[in-house]
Amino acid sequence: MPASLSPLGPAPSRWKRLRTELFGSRVDGLISIALGAALVAIAFGLLKWTLFQAQWAVIQANSTLFAVGRYPIEQQWRLWLLTALLAAATGVSWGLLRALPRDQPSGQRWPFNDRLAAGVLVALALAVPLWLQLSLAIQLRWWGITALVLVLRWALARWGSDVPWGIQRLVPLLWPGLYLVGMVLISGGLGLIQVAPSQWGGLLLTLVASSFAILLCFPLGLVLALGRRSELPLLRWGSVVYIEFIRGAPLITLLFLGQNILGFLLPGGLAPDRVWRAAWVLTFFAAAYVAEALRSGLAAVPRGQLEAAQSLGLSMPQGLVQVVLPQALRVALPAVVGQFITLLQDTTLLSLIGLLDLLGTARAVMANPAFLGKSAEVYLVLAVLFWCCCAALGLGSRALETRLNPSNPARYQ
Amino acid sequence: MASRNPAAMDPILEARGVQKWYPNGYHALRGVDLTVHRGEVVVIMGPSGSGKSTFIRTFNALEDFQQGSITIDGLSINEDTRNIEAIRREVGMVFQQFNLFPHLSVLDNLTLAPVLVRKRPKAQVELEALELLERVGIGEQAHKFPGQLSGGQQQRVAIARSLCMEPRLMLFDEPTSALDPEMVQEVLEVMQELAADGMTMVVVTHEVRFARNVASRVVLMAEGEVVEIAPPEQFFTAPSHPRTQQFLQQIG
Repeated sequence: MPASLSPLGPAPSRWKRLRTELFGSRVDGLISIALGAALVAIAFGLLKWTLFQAQWAVIQANSTLFAVGRYPIEQQWRLWLLTALLAAATGVSWGLLRALPRDQPSGQRWPFNDRLAAGVLVALALAVPLWLQLSLAIQLRWWGITALVLVLRWALARWGSDVPWGIQRLVPLLWPGLYLVGMVLISGGLGLIQVAPSQWGGLLLTLVASSFAILLCFPLGLVLALGRRSELPLLRWGSVVYIEFIRGAPLITLLFLGQNILGFLLPGGLAPDRVWRAAWVLTFFAAAYVAEALRSGLAAVPRGQLEAAQSLGLSMPQGLVQVVLPQALRVALPAVVGQFITLLQDTTLLSLIGLLDLLGTARAVMANPAFLGKSAEVYLVLAVLFWCCCAALGLGSRALETRLNPSNPARYQ
Repeated sequence: MASRNPAAMDPILEARGVQKWYPNGYHALRGVDLTVHRGEVVVIMGPSGSGKSTFIRTFNALEDFQQGSITIDGLSINEDTRNIEAIRREVGMVFQQFNLFPHLSVLDNLTLAPVLVRKRPKAQVELEALELLERVGIGEQAHKFPGQLSGGQQQRVAIARSLCMEPRLMLFDEPTSALDPEMVQEVLEVMQELAADGMTMVVVTHEVRFARNVASRVVLMAEGEVVEIAPPEQFFTAPSHPRTQQFLQQIG
């Protein structure tokens, strides 16, 4: 896909390059053929199993359970509304990104990736509801939501540049705003009927718990990382003890511990029930690791950077925010996102303390005698779902890395 | 101190009996006195480990000291952070390692502090910054990033970055020591023009020619003390102190 940017004259044709890479020597050729054959065999076997042997009734019959758990049916319109709002925000952001002038190297230009992504979206929206044998009403909802994304994307790509800059720059604020709206829609309050967290489940619970922990562990980790490098002894030692204690304990023990003691530690109302207690434990746990990742980033910024900032009259906080952190974050970003991905997968441990996250739901479904022996199908779907979430995080991280790269001309404006 | 310019008898920097111990107990500065008058160029020379870099870094409180006093334009350096920040606004510093901000464009390197610290309108600062870059000979590089420039160019940007804060005193901590030999001259020329424009400068350097041609006075430091202060012609031709003679032989 990416056109070659090699400065060494015209790039050799793709076919020729492939040939020299795979069949450079006799041994290379043998290895390539053997590995190729193995790959084809595996892919063929998997395809055959997926298409002809697997029985997907277990997924089809339980798709709602996997998606939202035992969320009350009469309140599920709130989740549909949230999905539609998220789709609208996606469409708006996507369209505006397309409308922005960007002078990136041709290989990374938007339209291609972007049409590919739109194509995949359409294909998934058409295929998945049919495959899940959803009722027509629900199929139509999914198609409507997909259409909403695409229409907004198209409209804003076309007329987005006419939107005044003052409004355009507010668009990123849609997302944190929507997160808060989403929390209210999911849990109730402000005139909506309360839906207790114990009724959330499946993908919904996994996403709520992991996004909550990801959002909060970052600022907490940042404070800990700065604390560990601070010159104030109490702050420094406090951070060290916290980080080393958390890193020395397995998450599962902390989760069990949290169910028992978090109620005493946090002020009343902050951790009222088991789901929120678990989410806080995940947050505190991940913060220690994020802190260490950020510390490595901070250590990579030469001391002279802060000195230069201070010699220009910047205060310590200004120097940290404007000079040190942007550089440290760039270094630490891959490790931090790696930590986020681990955190997302760690949410499966919630099933061990009796919560019905994605894995917990799956275990409940597999325990149903009607679906005995269908664990392969269930685990494969779980793996694909987690892969999608992690791939999204990874893609976001790479985009951010490019953006923070000091020699990338398309970073600002 | 006999200054060559009688109009410049107005002191901008006064260091009195400055003593510094490093946390490991090393006695880096052993009671150093120095007065710098407005418009003067004071060059500090000395063998490595003599404390000259440590000394110049106390002037904008990048290094602390345990005894003595330093007063800059009426403000004395103390524990008060706001006071220190006020002093740093008026004192520019150029480092051996340039210390440009690699994540910001050259132009943003210059405008960051005036906009953030002096709260000046960005558009106006940008115009001034472009003028300054023109003055140090790199106007056309304004939108590049520091990593794309040569060492000499980076150091000139660093000088322009300090000037953009309109400092009353400029400190240079071995500004040419990290440069490839062919780039030393372009940086020294910029510094020389700056001196000719009347900027007050304290320069730690090993460049004898610069000291001879530009300095109002030359200071020799050794083992954490000031050994000799003299106008350059006297310093280099008829030094009064044997330690200075020894130093000149070593570098000559």
